[in-house]
Amino acid sequence: MDDLSLIPKLGIGLLYQDQLRPFIESQRARFDFLEVIPDTLWTDLGTNNNPRYIESLHEVSFLRQLSAEIPMVIHSIGLSIGSACRFDHEHISQIARWYEWLKFPWHSDHLAFIIAGHGMNEINVGVTLPLPYDQESLDLLAPRVAEVRSHVPVPFLLENNVYFFEYPHQEFDEAAFLNQLCETSGCRLLLDLHNLYTNSRNHDIDSYVWLEKLNLENVVEIHVAGGMEDNGFYQDAHSDTSPPAVWNLLEWVLPQCPNLGGVVFELLGSWYIDVGEEGIVAQLSQMRELWMRYKPAPQPELVI
Amino acid sequence: MTQRAFQSTVARLVIDPDFRDRVSVHGVIALGSDLTTLERERVMAIVSDKGLDATRTLHKSFRLTKIYTLLPLTRALLGPDHLAKEIDSFWKAELPVSHYFMEEAIAFCDFLRDRICSGLRIKYLKEVIAYERANLELRRPRTNGDVPKPQFVNFDHDPVTLFTQLMNGKCPQVVPALSCLLVGNMGQDGEVQWHISTDGN
Repeated sequence: MDDLSLIPKLGIGLLYQDQLRPFIESQRARFDFLEVIPDTLWTDLGTNNNPRYIESLHEVSFLRQLSAEIPMVIHSIGLSIGSACRFDHEHISQIARWYEWLKFPWHSDHLAFIIAGHGMNEINVGVTLPLPYDQESLDLLAPRVAEVRSHVPVPFLLENNVYFFEYPHQEFDEAAFLNQLCETSGCRLLLDLHNLYTNSRNHDIDSYVWLEKLNLENVVEIHVAGGMEDNGFYQDAHSDTSPPAVWNLLEWVLPQCPNLGGVVFELLGSWYIDVGEEGIVAQLSQMRELWMRYKPAPQPELVI
Repeated sequence: MTQRAFQSTVARLVIDPDFRDRVSVHGVIALGSDLTTLERERVMAIVSDKGLDATRTLHKSFRLTKIYTLLPLTRALLGPDHLAKEIDSFWKAELPVSHYFMEEAIAFCDFLRDRICSGLRIKYLKEVIAYERANLELRRPRTNGDVPKPQFVNFDHDPVTLFTQLMNGKCPQVVPALSCLLVGNMGQDGEVQWHISTDGN
């Protein structure tokens, strides 16, 4: 069975950040689900340690309680699926352990490499570095996606990356690469519209042409966010509500994503004071309005 | 193998400005022999790209946040210029290996302690980094039921006055001499608790 048939239409989501707890508790009706970055709720001591992952009991306990009331999906930052130096099987096992208690309907990570080899060691750049859009990258990714899918029995999504430099002579453009990746590996897409907007500003890309090339049937989740200008580059800083151009992209793309499960607003907790409760409420309300207008039809139930 | 070498080169261009300068000046000679012609061409294309500067800025911000967040007193004591200088030296010696803040901050404390041993003289620094390191040691992630050992830090100056001035963002002016021992424990509520002992109790 195609995994797309299992995707629930969750609606409007909010990225969980510890600083947003008061908002999450008091404005529960404003969103339909939470997205959690699991890596921020555990400490990864590294591959040579046993136990390797130490979870924050305080926050995990809070999420356990909340997960009884509201659906959650997870969006990891720690797999570094594009790293050629190694593939992190233990990270997948950790995600699978979380699936056992959180039962998220899908999960996601970033299409990038963060960890690179350095002699006999590894370095963690802390930034999602772009992979070349080549067949060689597809060959690296496809078996890894297959392994993730074999361990965690729900759709696995990869997010289109923000990049500040481009490699010349790539074999695919980004949208064609994402289409090919989904086709060959079976992963689905987390379409980050603010990442697309950021790239379009920094690299003079037409976002709508980019979206027209993308197979939107693969999109299971959408991210929206806001950012800021810094040193001549627009940054995907998750520091604000969405700019008008991102709203326009969302309105354009929503009716064309039949398998979409939800739209998530990402705001870093450290910007909560600046954006304020009213800012988040306004953001979520606008998302809700668009979702209600364009939400994908529920999957028909199978009649035997 | 070549994919690995390419990613390693790109990552080094981001984290190591000296390496980037060498590649800028000497061209492909500065690169390893295990890159393909196309990979070398790509490296040479991005080495002078302003987007690489933006990526480097993001990397530095991410790494700096670790130290700024976890070592506020050390940050206040050193001030922005001196702190930046010490961090530059620290980064030349220590590669970024983890996404997590704790180990990097502890390693920076150890780096400063070694700098003091080799002649760095900044009033109160020895006491401040010993205290902040001990504080991190108590807060180090542990498995359930594993209780951290108490931490002991010797002070030659009144820590309350010292910390108050630093927490107000001031470089300490006059801090009275006070020989005392700070004892830190992890409380039942999961919060670190410190008390001052002036008589060895």
